[in-house]
Amino acid sequence: MARERYDAVVVGGGHNGLVTAAYLAKAGLQTLVLERRARAGGLLAAEEIVPGVRAPVAADGVGGLRDDVTRDLVLSAHGFRAIEPEVVAFAPSTNGRGVTLWRDPVRTATELRAGTQPSDAEAFVAFDRRIRSLGEFLARVHTTEPPDLASPSLADATGGLTLLNGLRQLGRQQVREVLRLLPMSVADLVGEAVEGEALRGVLGARGVRYAAMGPRSAGTALNFLWDSASGGGAAGRTVFVHGGPGALAEALVAAARAYGATVRCDADVAAIRTGRGAVEGVALAGGEEIDAQIVASSADPKQTLLRLVDPAVVGPTLGWRAEHIRTPGVVAKVTLVLESLPAIGGAADERLRGRIVLAPTLDSLERAFDDSKYGRISEHPYLEATIPTLWDPSLAADGTHVLTALFQYAPRRLRDAEWDEAVRDEVGDAAVQTLEAYAPGLVQRIIARHVVTPADLEREYGLSGGHPMHGEHALDQVFAWRPLLGHARYRLAGIRGLYLCGAGAHPGGGVTGGPGRNAARAILADARRAQRRSARRRGRGGSS
Amino acid sequence: MYDAVIIGGGHNGLVAAAYLARAGLKVVVLERRHVLGGAAVTEEVFPGFRFSVASYVVSLLRPEIVRELELPKHGLEILPLDGTFTPLEDDYLWRVNDHGHTLRELRRWSPSDAEAYDEYGRLMLEMAQFVKPILSMAPPDPGRFNPREWLPVARLARAFNDLPREQRAVFIQLMTMSAADFLDQWFETDPLKATMSASGIIGTFQGIRSPGTAYVLLHHYMGEIDGVLRAWGIPRGGTGAVSEAIASAARSFGAEIRTEAAVDHFLTRGDEVAGAVTSSGEEVSARVTLSSLDPQQTFVRLLPSGLLEASFLDEVGRYRYRGSSGKVNLALDGLPEFTCLPGEGDHLRGAISFSPSIDYMEQAYDDAKAGRFSRRPYIDMVIPTLVDPSMAPPGNHVMSCFVQYAPYRLADGDQWDDARRKAFGETVVDTIAERAPNIRDLILHAQVLTPKDIEERFGLSEGNIFQGELSLEQLFFNRPVPGWARYRTPLRNLWMCGSATHPGGGIMGASGRLAALQVLRSLRAKKAA
Repeated sequence: MARERYDAVVVGGGHNGLVTAAYLAKAGLQTLVLERRARAGGLLAAEEIVPGVRAPVAADGVGGLRDDVTRDLVLSAHGFRAIEPEVVAFAPSTNGRGVTLWRDPVRTATELRAGTQPSDAEAFVAFDRRIRSLGEFLARVHTTEPPDLASPSLADATGGLTLLNGLRQLGRQQVREVLRLLPMSVADLVGEAVEGEALRGVLGARGVRYAAMGPRSAGTALNFLWDSASGGGAAGRTVFVHGGPGALAEALVAAARAYGATVRCDADVAAIRTGRGAVEGVALAGGEEIDAQIVASSADPKQTLLRLVDPAVVGPTLGWRAEHIRTPGVVAKVTLVLESLPAIGGAADERLRGRIVLAPTLDSLERAFDDSKYGRISEHPYLEATIPTLWDPSLAADGTHVLTALFQYAPRRLRDAEWDEAVRDEVGDAAVQTLEAYAPGLVQRIIARHVVTPADLEREYGLSGGHPMHGEHALDQVFAWRPLLGHARYRLAGIRGLYLCGAGAHPGGGVTGGPGRNAARAILADARRAQRRSARRRGRGGSS
Repeated sequence: MYDAVIIGGGHNGLVAAAYLARAGLKVVVLERRHVLGGAAVTEEVFPGFRFSVASYVVSLLRPEIVRELELPKHGLEILPLDGTFTPLEDDYLWRVNDHGHTLRELRRWSPSDAEAYDEYGRLMLEMAQFVKPILSMAPPDPGRFNPREWLPVARLARAFNDLPREQRAVFIQLMTMSAADFLDQWFETDPLKATMSASGIIGTFQGIRSPGTAYVLLHHYMGEIDGVLRAWGIPRGGTGAVSEAIASAARSFGAEIRTEAAVDHFLTRGDEVAGAVTSSGEEVSARVTLSSLDPQQTFVRLLPSGLLEASFLDEVGRYRYRGSSGKVNLALDGLPEFTCLPGEGDHLRGAISFSPSIDYMEQAYDDAKAGRFSRRPYIDMVIPTLVDPSMAPPGNHVMSCFVQYAPYRLADGDQWDDARRKAFGETVVDTIAERAPNIRDLILHAQVLTPKDIEERFGLSEGNIFQGELSLEQLFFNRPVPGWARYRTPLRNLWMCGSATHPGGGIMGASGRLAALQVLRSLRAKKAA
């Protein structure tokens, strides 16, 4: 069999891998995506939990998906349709009306004014305004290739100027402010802004989502602000995909294919082949080899550097550093199929159409986190639930509802225990018990229950440590040092042609397409440069 | 009429006074208490027993201050504090300055840790060398571009680029990681990681797993390369002796130092501060006024309202203190005997650290987060009489216990009253007694300082020993208030020179010195104009 040859191979068909592939194919590169699983989409996957009910198993919202990605790849032409409910988040209470964050901050404020902490109405609007303006700046940061701190080049200067320009537009006071806010804890950030415990809880949760940190940990304010780059202000954004998150995966596959890329599933990449300091291609687990001078890995940086690339090429120092990339997975996902929907926190209307956040106070979040420090599952977890069947009834049979909840904290590394069926049930039970407190009668309506543990995430999706963000989002693993200082510009390990295009690269995890798009830009910039060089060489060769 | 009046005779106020007097200014220091030194103070708390009541070791007293003020000539003598002893239930971890000895001890725990310890030490020494200039640098204002302000930072950036790539990565980690996570990369021995990372949480309301606590690990290596003095030691005569030496230097330059001269409020003329009015009503007017007090005391207590803009006062109100530690000073009639290592060996002559494991430290922090003092606190204990017997009557000893966590704010309704103080003291003694059961029989007197006591006695808001948390968002150009990190204040001729300004914390004196240099520069500029 003749060895296949492509311009570029993308390892992993998660959303970032697909985004990179689509951009590369669009620019004319012969591109191949290799996905180990039977379907592309990575964490956008849906599974049939009971016959006829497909539910998202990992990501459920796409609030962070970048507009430029959907626009550039014309995803709407491939069936992608976003649904943005009026309600962003609802934090029910067991004995009151709870707090609702609406897309329209004024509507949120109006309700706050009638609540237990009327002064928060003004405070929330002011905070929301600040977050929106900082979010705009951070959105710029997200699209910028992090500077190479070691040898700043002209390109860095340009990137730096863009950022400086962004900073200048913020104004003196805000520059000072952003520098103060970024390293803070989210508890302090929202504690300074608003008074109500419930409001602080639902806002604070945004800083710890997917993180092995509690709201008092420094750097969680950065997570909050990072997430605000999507433009939703203090509430953040809640966006769903018509047909479920899997429909986004399908649209990305269709877009990539439309540009000429090949997407191959059931193709497990066992190694990235290198020689003389450059990438030569990949080898599949079955022994098949595919040649390419560009390999972009959307696997996490640990998998990429420690499993896929020859350790002798990576070298002991970089290998040691890669081993210490922190990937403490603490997220589980609990999905329930319900024969009918109970009222949650007394609400049965459109309030349930966004994210339902069970994080009643900052202290409760912190205590949930504390359990995980000692290798235990949170006794009183922080849950973030969505009910996709409310806006897309086609997902389940008549009257049946699917409720899918992010569960924190469920540490991948348990103390004195392994992730077995008993622990899986423990997570499911804790989730159901917590939900039942807000939604009496929920237990009796459960038809089926499905739990994805961090061990599943590690095994099924190849995520080191079961960390859905490919590495903890924390002060020590962001921007110019994500995944590692000196390797944050998508080019990896000093190997020519090797790129990182997944969530382990700047701007990091979440369904944003950001790393995939930035990586494609870096790859294409290098390709153009190489082309110019060879054209020059040819030119010189011709004249002599 | 003075050239400069300095509010507060703590070590930073005295350093500022000395530098200003040395430049020929007519200087007066006003100290509320009858003793000088602020939190760097020695007091005879019980007859015959002298204590470094609050701060108890000299950490990073800047060598340039020692040199420029000729402190040894004024009586400063630092006695070595050798090693750190971590008692455990039936074992111990004992590191000393003798490198070979420490390696042998570590090998007993983990051969790979012993190997890593060498490499780690070398790396930290190099990092410390790189970071050290920050301590002697007035922070620039990121809100505007003034080349002169940014020059030192540019120099640092160049030095950063000259570092090998691995060291650059380590620097980023030191500035952003938690102490425990940082050490996890090198070591596996639990008591070693817990004890080393403990220094990262001192005086903050954070745990050793809280990001931003790694940086302080460097401080332990910074002193070693200063070469002038030992980094961590006990001044002969207690930490008050440091203050006395600085005061003596200041006086030798002509500064006037008054004790029992509490300041009631600043003397103001329009938006200008023109000195201070003491509680006895005396007006002390001066061309410039330096406050070594924290921002709460300076801008809220001593200033009439209405002078400062609301936005600035908001920032002052946002500045976090959150005292998290207490102090227990014990007068003993003998030495504690640790069950894990009996006898009066050298292990008692250094720091004794109650930090057996990372979980222990985290649990101590969890208590504080819940608004109560730690049921089993982290204790950093020293017995100064073993290196300086003059502190107690012959045969007797003084023991100093720094205790964390003791949150300033207790949970719902609970107050730091006499009963709470007593319970806190007992918890500390209980904790010690678990490792050294004879302690109970040795105690002649006990002084227990809660964060509330620290606030009242030393005027430190919320009992924060560093005049405000040393957390990432309150360092460098953010300390104490973004835009006001260069020792100036929004009021003309009022300056800050205390630990609430960069670099803050510990008996460093750098804040006082940097503030004085900024004041002198501004006066020179005025004169030239």
